[in-house]
Amino acid sequence: MALDLLTKDTIQVVEADHLNWQEAIRKAAQPLVDNGTIGKDYVNSMVEVVKKKGPYINIGPEIALAHSRPSQSVKRIGLALMKTKQDVDLVNKDHPIRLWFVLAAVDSTSHLEVIKELSQVLMDQSKQKALLNAQSVDEILQVLKG
Amino acid sequence: MKFEALCQSGLGSSFMVQMNIQNLLNQENVKEDIEVDHSDVGSATPDQADYFFLDPTLETAAANLPKDRVIVLKSLVDADELKEKVNAILDKEGIDHD
Repeated sequence: MALDLLTKDTIQVVEADHLNWQEAIRKAAQPLVDNGTIGKDYVNSMVEVVKKKGPYINIGPEIALAHSRPSQSVKRIGLALMKTKQDVDLVNKDHPIRLWFVLAAVDSTSHLEVIKELSQVLMDQSKQKALLNAQSVDEILQVLKG
Repeated sequence: MKFEALCQSGLGSSFMVQMNIQNLLNQENVKEDIEVDHSDVGSATPDQADYFFLDPTLETAAANLPKDRVIVLKSLVDADELKEKVNAILDKEGIDHD
């Protein structure tokens, strides 16, 4: 299952205090940098694309899916999730975020299975709610596997 | 009939919307052949599809598309909103659904 990419190593639950949206994306992506999935260039490019194009990665209520174009900086498909216990505004206050997904793609097709499974979880209202309210990594894993 | 889901990059969220529309059309037992695809908002042209789906942050980027054929989704992961808006199109086009 593609969502197996989300593990206790790639999921974080953190206090949001003082984080701005750029720091939130960087922090959410850090486990993928640490395990060699992506390089810093890809992280920078995820931030840059929002600066340039706006908060379009806000895909649902308090949910962001940070991603950028496939690049050499991406070694393999990757997915990470950071839950901030409080809202962090993505670009402006119209886009408060608590769930920060980070997706890394190597080409335009191989990550589609990940998107498909992620979408199935998020379209399920009760799972979406449970993720937004989760207070620990274990709770998030339970929702994803449930 | 063709639906096109659009997002900034044409990689991620537009595919999510495409899939959710396809699932919905199945659930609604739509027999008519409706093609659903996804692409990036920058390359979208009015003749590319009959209806375009996008999120509110892309409305300006999609200014070249005819407003009456652009469906703005407040959330890309809200099954109820999608159902309401897709069904409205189906009704308008006289396409049978449950």
